[in-house]
Amino acid sequence: MSGEERIVCIGCPMGCAVTLTIDDDREVVSIAGHKCKEGEKYVLDEYKSPVRTLTATVLTQSSSQKLLAVRTTAPIPKTKLVPGIMALAKVRTKPPIKIGDVIISNLLDTGVDVAATSDMPF
Amino acid sequence: MKLQDVDVAVIGSGPAGMAAAIKAKESGAKSVLIMERAEQMGGLLHQCVHNGFGLLYFSEDLTGPEYAHRFMEKAMDVKVAPLLETMVTKISPEREITAISSQAGYITFTPKSIVLAMGCRERSRGALNIPGTRPAGILTAGTAQRFVNVEGFIPGKKIVILGSGDIGMIMARRLTLEGAEVVAVVEILPYIGGLLRNEVQCLHDFNISLLLEHTVTQIYGEQRIEAVTVARVDSNWNPIAGTGRRIECDTLLLSIGLIPENELSSMAGVELDPVTGGPIVGEVRQTNVPGIFAGGNVVHVHDLVDNVSWESELAGESAARFAMGAKWAEGKIILKPGRNIRYIVPHTISGEREVTLYLRVSDLEEGVRLKIGGIMSKALRIVKPSEMLKIELSTAQLRKLKEGTTEIVVDCEKRGSR
Repeated sequence: MSGEERIVCIGCPMGCAVTLTIDDDREVVSIAGHKCKEGEKYVLDEYKSPVRTLTATVLTQSSSQKLLAVRTTAPIPKTKLVPGIMALAKVRTKPPIKIGDVIISNLLDTGVDVAATSDMPF
Repeated sequence: MKLQDVDVAVIGSGPAGMAAAIKAKESGAKSVLIMERAEQMGGLLHQCVHNGFGLLYFSEDLTGPEYAHRFMEKAMDVKVAPLLETMVTKISPEREITAISSQAGYITFTPKSIVLAMGCRERSRGALNIPGTRPAGILTAGTAQRFVNVEGFIPGKKIVILGSGDIGMIMARRLTLEGAEVVAVVEILPYIGGLLRNEVQCLHDFNISLLLEHTVTQIYGEQRIEAVTVARVDSNWNPIAGTGRRIECDTLLLSIGLIPENELSSMAGVELDPVTGGPIVGEVRQTNVPGIFAGGNVVHVHDLVDNVSWESELAGESAARFAMGAKWAEGKIILKPGRNIRYIVPHTISGEREVTLYLRVSDLEEGVRLKIGGIMSKALRIVKPSEMLKIELSTAQLRKLKEGTTEIVVDCEKRGSR
């Protein structure tokens, strides 16, 4: 399906609204509305493979805290954010846990782990 | 540690307090004491589970707890001791601190110097006087953040957020991921209150509607909030008759700004700036009260924690030097906000050492030139009240100041106009 795609560049406070023209093969035909080279690169990357770091909390079996804050150790595809949080909803972590400990390895086959972002000694 | 021997007391252990205390110790203060009302150091960072912290300071994309962890470890390494569960209730102009502590009881002592690092708190419904009933389900975005990320409760299922501050937008995403429906983020201004990256990654990513130039004009519900009226506003922020529409919701989150927390500063006789809400400070973050310094959100509300840490390190270093009897050049030059400048921190400089200016504009403008007296000029594509500007002045630039200069006006001029 050809058409247009609008992406707001977050490279600087300018926040250019960039318009991509897309052909039938979802390839970018033209790009307009950006004001710099870095912006062009950001928008093309953001179009081709938008990635985000997923941060969340998981339930614990700790006597001191109900939740443990976690993150993906690298950004994952944007489309995996919701499936990712569903996977985290099933987790019950058990202390002791150190910051950086892997809570889920290879989340949804992304090759990225979910790790603890703080210590949970007990 | 004997309280009588404390060189530097730091009030608060959030990002500001931890950075100040570590730097004070590294700068030669023998005994540095952090006073913290919570059970652990780190302040609000623990509930900010999202990433985006430390991009400048560590060149890494950390979450709040990770950013806190780095400083907590460092504090341990340099042997800065926190006195936890300790609430400072008074500071006198002579620097006598009064506190109540579950560990140490009722305490009073006079350290050689003090760093104010109390941070800020959120504006609440009372600040806006929204008409309507007073049901449950109206809370600040930060309170919701604590519920969701620390206590393990979701405050509601159908949520309207008033104000587009960063915490509000981040909670819009967080609550959506946790299964709630965020119906709308309502902002009275024609642009968002927080950072652009949060608009894109928290609102656009989850198709959350952002209603600019709108506000909540009515709250409904007896026990629990049931709905709000949202109306368009005119350029004077007055609701336009006939534009109101009812939006059903069970929760209203407020993300309408932060206020530096300065009750203790006032007791100590520290002079405050009505614009920033924080102490009037010089370039080494000295206040008007000898031996009292301040850094971080207690001085002015920052966008990025990285700048909070840097500013507070300056305050910590100065407090250590004061405790050791050092003196520095007086802040004899006043920095005066000119055209489209809301505030500048520090408020005064000596002109003798390089300095970083933090400033905010009053209004969004494109194609501008920032002019610092006659000594520096910088073209900027866009300036926004929500994005703090950081300008470094080198000693070479400061040497251009005329002998006897007592005031530097900072202007944000429209380019191409005279």
